[in-house]
Order: sequence, then structure tokens, then C-alpha cells
Amino acid sequence: MPMSNRSTHLAVGLIAGLGLGFLPHPAAAEGPVFKVDPSWPKTLPNNWILGQIGGLTVDGQDHIWIDQRPRSLTKDEAGAAQKPPQSKCCMPAPPIMEFDAAGNFLKGWGGPGEGYDWPEQEHAVRLDGKGNIYLAGNGAKDQMLLKFTTEGKFVKQLGKLSMPLGSKDTDSVGRVADIFYDAPANELYLADGYGNHRVMVIDADSFAFKRMWGAYGKPPSDDNIPMYNPASAQFANPVHCVKIASDGLVYVCDRSNNRIQVFQKNGTFVKEFVYDKDTRQSGSTWDIALWPDKNNTYLLMADGTNNLIRVIRRADGQVLSTFGTGGRQAGQFHWVHVMAIDSKGNLYTGEVDTGKRIQKFTSNMTP
Amino acid sequence: MKNRLKLILALVLGALMSSSSAFAEGPEYKVDASWPKQLPNNWIIGQIGGMNVDAQDHIWVFQRPRSLKPVDLAETKHAKCCIAAPSVIEFDAAGNVLSSWGGPGYNPDWPEVEHGIFVDGKNNILLTGSGNKDGTLLKFSRDGKFLAKFGHQGPTAGSQDTSALGGTASIAFDPQANELFLSDGYFNHRVIVLDADSLAYKRMWGAYGKPPADMKLPNYNPKSAQFANPVHCVRIANDGLVYVCDRTNDRIQVFQKNGTFVKEFAIRPETHGTGSSYDLAFWPDKNQTYLIIADGADGEAVIVRREDGKEVGAFGHYGKQAGQFHNIHQIVSDSKGNIYTGEVDVGMRVQKFVPNMPPAK
Repeated sequence: MPMSNRSTHLAVGLIAGLGLGFLPHPAAAEGPVFKVDPSWPKTLPNNWILGQIGGLTVDGQDHIWIDQRPRSLTKDEAGAAQKPPQSKCCMPAPPIMEFDAAGNFLKGWGGPGEGYDWPEQEHAVRLDGKGNIYLAGNGAKDQMLLKFTTEGKFVKQLGKLSMPLGSKDTDSVGRVADIFYDAPANELYLADGYGNHRVMVIDADSFAFKRMWGAYGKPPSDDNIPMYNPASAQFANPVHCVKIASDGLVYVCDRSNNRIQVFQKNGTFVKEFVYDKDTRQSGSTWDIALWPDKNNTYLLMADGTNNLIRVIRRADGQVLSTFGTGGRQAGQFHWVHVMAIDSKGNLYTGEVDTGKRIQKFTSNMTP
Repeated sequence: MKNRLKLILALVLGALMSSSSAFAEGPEYKVDASWPKQLPNNWIIGQIGGMNVDAQDHIWVFQRPRSLKPVDLAETKHAKCCIAAPSVIEFDAAGNVLSSWGGPGYNPDWPEVEHGIFVDGKNNILLTGSGNKDGTLLKFSRDGKFLAKFGHQGPTAGSQDTSALGGTASIAFDPQANELFLSDGYFNHRVIVLDADSLAYKRMWGAYGKPPADMKLPNYNPKSAQFANPVHCVRIANDGLVYVCDRTNDRIQVFQKNGTFVKEFAIRPETHGTGSSYDLAFWPDKNQTYLIIADGADGEAVIVRREDGKEVGAFGHYGKQAGQFHNIHQIVSDSKGNIYTGEVDVGMRVQKFVPNMPPAK
């Protein structure tokens, strides 16, 4: 079970921090090296400002979609929306926004409407490449999954705004954090979630329940078990990411247990990896992006508590390098929450709490 | 064909006219997101209380370690990052940390909330604070050795008290008379002048150069008879005019050094919230033709003509992306016209902006 070495990381961090950061220490490392592109995105139109970034994904055209939280803005941030306006800026941007790789805003929509339950707190976003987009939230009552067209027309809903129904209920979800679309089987994998303790798989068209599992592929349970335990028999809350690699392995972020677990698509447990196991607060394994070469050779892992991104060899889970640190300057992170990579190896990140921004990182490698 | 040409001309002209920058007067700025470099020692910075540029174009930052939250600090989350940086940090124009010192407990009168910083003509560092009990001006050597103080800690006795300060936000230095000018402040409603060596009280004034008062008057009134709180900046131009930021009255008042009122400019007077005139820097050409004003409520740096206060440009936008501002609080310029900014609330960063033209010397 590989584990990143805390003292080595600290030493590397200190050396880099002592002004020796120009030494090519990443060049010696295996895997891609990333650099922030602070010109992305361009200034938003319509005097808009972003709130917390609940979800972020890249579609088949390398467009970046975010699911952001207008209601997380403070009065000072949404000064122009106050009645009367208290300042020139700003108006809350719509929750769903599409950008291109050059940083242009292309389209935006979303929010409460007729015929569906908009989440109390925006979180998951995923496209299926067939003109549909799937959304979920992590508010206290967000026990539903929503399907819209990419133009914002409502299609379908599973579950509803309600009190939690638990990890045994197959007609609702429990504050889903992440969604992955598996095209060959036309199935949706749900990291479920902030309330439930499971991975749940449903048919992408009918939303019919297919299967579900908890930690180690066992039936999910909602026992009250302490967090920060990388050997826990249960997923902690939140089950924060689910991604499927090109070889069919399913990666699940058990955020507050500081681990990822790997499964076959049928839920059979394969292996697990632990990262910075002493991390407290919100845990160390927030989100995963797969390096877009044929074999998905590397995993990139966002860690919003340590405020860094790990470059990991997928085969054995070994940390090859990390980048980023806590802070508000360009290229730093305050609660880096979600992450996605495009076909060219550009990485996009989204921050929550008071971070409230999206950033682009270019890589030195072509996948 | 002729009509088509006309159409094209009209379109081009229209595009030029609608792009306000095409005919804009004054410098235009672009963020340099590579400044500063990654801090040493796993440090993180909190809110930026004060900033000043010294004679060597070094940037001095007075930041607030206690404004950092548990989520920012390694020890509270068993995480790798971060450790609160010292309060006083000196950077060069390339973004390197050159020196650092200070922080809570460094001196018995250390401010509750770090705010004003100024490097005086003798290379000493002057510090003030904006906390409830911050009534002291502290003087240190450049490397952090305590030298002298004015005032004392404790809630202010009001704007008539000449023995202590009331949350002084900003400090300026007049080399000709060897005097310090303080914008005082978060609780008092005055400019107060001290001898730079003895720190003895010299004089003070309120809005329009009248004796200061502590009446309870509404904010957001650019014609108010009194400075609102906070009196947030004081800067002295090369021609001897003294500029004072009356932040929540959305105005700048201009005085002679003796306190005689000269003129005033309203800055975006429709602004409410935390006000529009937070701080100002001079465009460093011979005549200091422009003032570059940090407008914290609107999240922009506003360029106005110093002569008449007319707005000729602006840069930045409220927000967290590089080049945007979340409560831009401090703004300073170096001799080359580079602008450095500092943000408060959850902004907690410093940024550098580079102009598109050199200042005419």
C-alpha cells in the first residue's frame, strides 16, 4: 500500500520554498509538470462574478463546464445585486457555465424552475456526449439527480428535495458529489455522497437502479463510524469522486478517510491507496483526473486540505510529484475542490470556501 | 462599393469608440501574476493591512497573521500547508522576499490589527494598527529593532486627544519639514502631524481643514462636514499637496501641509458598502499627473487626473482570479510606474501590475 512520504514532501517543499524553486526538481520526476495560465478565464461578461465551484468537467470538445454556487456570494461580492446596489460590481453568474480552452464564456443557465427541484447547493456536473448534462447537489435536502439538455432544457429527475432516505434507498440519492458517464453501458456512476455512503449505478436513460456498493465492495451502510481511518469498513462522508479509467477500473475518493478505493465496474474491490493519512479537517482525497493518454498512465489528485495536486502513477498509486500550495496568488489553492483535464493535458481546477475561482494549468507533456 | 467602404469605416469607428481604452488618457495596466514568487518557509499571508515602496523600489507589506483561518494553517489540520508569515515583509520588484520580522507579541504595543506602514527618510519603519485599542505609532529600524513610539494602546479618547491615536490607517512623510502625517483613522476623524524624530505632536485637522469632531454623521456623503471612519489614507505629492482618503464618504480631500483645505473630488459617489476611496498612489511622472485609487467596494483600481479628479481609466474587476480584486485595500507605485496592490477580507494577497508606458521624467 503506497503512501506518500510526509517528511520527503516537507523537505521538497522547504527546498522549493527557500528560493531554490528554480532548480529543475520536477524535471527529474516522472510525469507531467504543470504551470498556471493566469490569463484563463477572460473577464466574465454581464458584470458577473463566480461563487464557490461545486463541480467542474470537460466535454468531448475540450470545453469546460462548471456548476458554481451563486448563493455562496457575500453581499460585498454581489454588491450590484443588492437593493439598492451598493457598488458597481457584481451580479451573480448563472450556476451552469461553459467555457472554451481560450477562456471565453460560451453559455450559461440554471437555477430554480418549473418541473424540477434545483439543488440547494450546486455540486456535481457531467455530460454524456449525447447532448445531455447531469447535475446533483450537496445541500441538506438534495436527494435528487437532474438531467437537462446542454442548452438547459429539463429532461428528467431521480429522487426529490427531501429529508435523507439512506444508503439502502434505490429511488433517491443522498447528496451526490460526483457523476461519471460510462458510454459503453450507458450507465451513470454516482459518488453518493455527502449523505449516503455508497457508489450507485443507474441507467442513464431510464434512471433505473442497476447496482450499488460501499467500501471494499460490501453492501453500503450508514453506521456512525469515525473518519480519518484509511482502513475503515465504510466510506466516510463525503464519497467525493468517481472516475472510470480506460481499462474499466473505477476510482472512488473516500475523502475524509484519506484514501481512494479502486473497483471493477461490477463493484468488485480491487485495491486502495492512502495519501497523507494524518490529514484531518476535510481529508486529503478530493477529486481525481485521469491523464488523457491511452493508458491513463497518471492520476492527478486534488487535495483541498493540503492545498496541492498530486501527480500519481496509476499502476501502483505512487506519488511522483506535487504542485500548488495554500494561498490566494495565481497558481495557489484555497480549498481546491474539483478538477478536470482536457484531451491535450490542460488541467482545470475549481475552489470552494472563500476560494471561488477557476484556474487553468498547462502541462509540459503531450499525452 | 462606396457605400460598403462607408459601412466598414462606420463599423471600425464604432468599434474604436466603444472600446473605452482606445482613446483613453493615462497608463494602462496588466497583471504580472508571477509576482511575488512562492514564499519561503511554507509561509502564507493574511489580510494586507498596509503597503509602502521605499527609495530602492522595494515593497514593504504589513500583513495580518491573525486574520488567517484554521483552514489556512498546517497545525490545525495536520496538513502540509501553511505557516503564518511574519507581519512585516520586504519584497523586491522581482518578487523575492528580502527581509521579514514582527508579529503579534513582537512588541508590547504591537497592533491588534496591522494597518499602516511607512519607510521614512531615515530608513526607519513606522507601523500603526486599526484595532479597537490601537492608539500607538511604533518606530523600528529597517531590520526590526524597536526605536520609539507615539501614543499608547487603549480605546481612543477621541479626536481632541493629542497624546494618542485612534486606529491610524496610513502614514506619510514630508522630508522638507521632517514631519509625519497620519490619517487617524478608524475611530478618530482627523489628520494628525508629528515631528518625525521626536514624535512630538505638531497639529491636526478634520474635513475642510476645520477642527476635527466626533459627531455621529451618516456615511456616503461626499459633502460631509466631517471625515467618516475610516480616514483611510494620507499621501503627499511632490508639489506639497496632501491627499486624504475619506473612504466611506467616497471622496478625496486635498490640503496644504498646514491643513488649509484646497479642493475635493468625489470618487464614484453612488458607492455604498465599504466605500470607494480606500487608498491612492501617484503616477510617478514629473508632475504626478494621475492618481491611481484603490476602490475596494467596486473591486477596481481607478485612474483619475490629479488636477481635477476626472476618471480617465480603471483596471481590475471584483473577484478572485489573477488581476481581479477582492477588497483591494492598499495601492502603491514604484519609480517605474509599477503598481502593487494588497487585499483584505478573504482576499489575502498581493499583486503586481505593469504599465504600458514609462512615466515621463
